[in-house]
Amino acid sequence: MAARQIFNPDGFKNIEENGKITGYQFQFKAQYYRGITLSIVHDISVNVDGEDAAREDISLTVNGETFTLDQMLTVVDSDYRWEFGEYATVTVKKEGGLVAGKHHIKSVQLIVPSYMPFPVKANCETDFVIE
Amino acid sequence: MSHDIKRSISLYSYQDEYYDGKLDLEGCLRETAKTGATGVELLAEQMIKKFPKPIEDEAFRENWFAMLDKYGLVPSCYDAFLENRIYSNRTLSLGEQINMMKRDIRLANMLGFPVLRTLVSTPMDVIEGSLEYAEQMNVKIGLEVHAPFSLNSGWADGYMEMINRTGTKYFGFVPDMGIFCKNIPDVLRDKAKRMGASEECLKIVDDAYAQRVAKGFVKIKYDLDLGKANMEYRMANGMKEMMEAVEKAGGGPADMMYAGSSFTYSWSESQDIIDNIDYIFHTHAKFYNVHEDYVETAVAIPEVVEAFKKAGYKGFLSSEYEGGEHLRDVGVDSIEQCRRHQEALRRAIEG
Repeated sequence: MAARQIFNPDGFKNIEENGKITGYQFQFKAQYYRGITLSIVHDISVNVDGEDAAREDISLTVNGETFTLDQMLTVVDSDYRWEFGEYATVTVKKEGGLVAGKHHIKSVQLIVPSYMPFPVKANCETDFVIE
Repeated sequence: MSHDIKRSISLYSYQDEYYDGKLDLEGCLRETAKTGATGVELLAEQMIKKFPKPIEDEAFRENWFAMLDKYGLVPSCYDAFLENRIYSNRTLSLGEQINMMKRDIRLANMLGFPVLRTLVSTPMDVIEGSLEYAEQMNVKIGLEVHAPFSLNSGWADGYMEMINRTGTKYFGFVPDMGIFCKNIPDVLRDKAKRMGASEECLKIVDDAYAQRVAKGFVKIKYDLDLGKANMEYRMANGMKEMMEAVEKAGGGPADMMYAGSSFTYSWSESQDIIDNIDYIFHTHAKFYNVHEDYVETAVAIPEVVEAFKKAGYKGFLSSEYEGGEHLRDVGVDSIEQCRRHQEALRRAIEG
């Protein structure tokens, strides 16, 4: 048996648009026990190597559609849920992306199930390598 | 009184294997059947992708019933989540919430479930507004009684008043056996130790828990503001004093985690089952760790099952494994845990 895997080890990469590196991506699973409407995901914070990403630079992709964190607050369509056990892709805008080599990510998922008196705050952390 | 106690498994129990992609919905049903359980409880939002759309599809439902036939299972309980704060700027209106509840009742009916589990956050008006439809669909609404809530309490009295006033046969309770914890689960204590908790702090918390069990827990009050009700409950049960003692003993984050978590378990007298049996539609047989000798050290399985027998319970005890969340740093085996728990239930029921 092994510890639970939160991040997709193959999901870390820089992204390129029109020949320029505009940011980086990673994939992780929601740390909650059912599939959720994106509207109850109130925040995803991202910190790589001690540097916080700005909220407006973060977006999430599920089932081929991409939403900013603010847009997610109104996404209730059943085709675009963050399904239990499935990776969602997080894209972070950052000119030049991340340099090749070892990095460390800390990301916090803030999920607010209606019935809970307190939100679910999941700290997700791992080392990764950018090729 | 003669009883008819059947065994079920809530597929919630297999969440870690599902999360890892080791089991899909059919795999969970197959594992359920292997344990000897005959009932299956489902969290549709957990294992049906694009919820609720597929349930509307006849081919999907045919496949669902074919799988149940194949594994010799019957639907026991549908676990609904009334997402009444689906928009961050407001709570759904009463009418919107009733419509959502009716949607879930209909979905439960379409998948063959006789009982729908609703959560304590469901306003009374929403339940009352759904009763007629529940009767039409022949789906009973069961309110989960999960720690820190309990039967025979000011909180439960609020619902009993509604049952008596309306005369409904379609609303009752789904007790969660986490309200019958004699001890804090050992898997939680072991996790705290791995995180660096001290024996001294663990003992302070364990002793405080033992005292609450011995004295009897101060019951939670009825309040729609669940956060407030929960905090009052914790304070009335000595949380402040206990936290201060842990802090004084030099408690760090692991000790604080253990201390705080100890308030998510509680002990009610098993007589509560007997007193409320007419209103118990289904039961979450919550468990945390069943050892090789079929003993669960937190939930008092034999004592509670004995109360169900004495009361003449006719319904399911549905295994709900919740120890996995404390083992995710070292590995979880829900399949073996469910096998052991079903055997423990079988022995208690048949013994």
